[in-house]
Amino acid sequence: MTEKKTIIVIYIFSLLGILAWLGAILLAPYFKSQSIPESRLLYGVFSRICHQAPSRCFYLFGFPLAVCTRCLGIYLGFLSGIVFFPFIKGFKMAAVPPSWLFIFLTFPIAVDTGGNFLSLWSSPDWLRFVFGLIWGSILPFYFVVGLSDFFTHLQKKKKRV
Amino acid sequence: MNEQKPNMFIPALIGGGIAGFLSGVPLVNCLCCLWIIGGAILAAYLLQRDSKTPLTSGDGAIVGALSGIIAAVVDAIVSIPFQALSNDIFRKMMDWAAEYADDIPEGWEKWLEQGNMDMTLPWIFLGFLITAVIFASLGALGGIIGVSVIKKPAKPGQEVIDVSEKDSGDRKS
Repeated sequence: MTEKKTIIVIYIFSLLGILAWLGAILLAPYFKSQSIPESRLLYGVFSRICHQAPSRCFYLFGFPLAVCTRCLGIYLGFLSGIVFFPFIKGFKMAAVPPSWLFIFLTFPIAVDTGGNFLSLWSSPDWLRFVFGLIWGSILPFYFVVGLSDFFTHLQKKKKRV
Repeated sequence: MNEQKPNMFIPALIGGGIAGFLSGVPLVNCLCCLWIIGGAILAAYLLQRDSKTPLTSGDGAIVGALSGIIAAVVDAIVSIPFQALSNDIFRKMMDWAAEYADDIPEGWEKWLEQGNMDMTLPWIFLGFLITAVIFASLGALGGIIGVSVIKKPAKPGQEVIDVSEKDSGDRKS
């Protein structure tokens, strides 16, 4: 498989993955509103990576989403980054973003998270969402490029063998 | 000359162990997935430090995914003593959420009595598998970020095999 094909495959899987992920986040409150027992499974899955505090979640159908506003922002940011990925990087193997850009985009969420964790302040939900959105938008440029790099190396090793 | 890359297990064990422990402890685990990504970045840093050659993004993905799986195992073990406490906290959260629900679905009270999840063995195993997949994905992302941000410059004369170069389009595919 060529490098370009590898990156396209990784891209498609990443896009489908994040769409399914966000779909599950939105399905959880819907299932709960309909008393569908699988809502417990959905909330349970996301409970491993999110505190799911109702006071920090957006609501849908009268019930909290499966993740908090910050996490939702990260995942929606990831989706937006994936959508813009072909227009910014194309499907050729390219370098990951420069370190300074990652640090710059991480700084707001890092400061906000640290401040809330240490009880220095309590950010409003919309701000947590926005900071998550900003940070999440750069993540696909690492994820897609990094995984493509891994599989490309794997293919080259197999060819040598 | 291709130098042997260091063993990934120890850095992954350290990064994943710390991330898994912090993910399993109530109240501290409120930083959500960031612990897993942070643990993977730590693993990537430790691997980079021990490596004589600069690492590629793919190496970061592997050590990150490995640290994510280790974090899932540690999280499962650490969560056991805190499960009763977590159930209590969860129940209070759901009670609080119920106050804001317009219509309480049928069976809500029964569900609260049962707790957040049925703790049968198949469910526990399924839950662990799902957690491992999620943590491995987050870990891979963290490892890629870690290797990319904490780059080790190549020494003069050292061959660097890194396909994540801008001019890679000139090479044969």
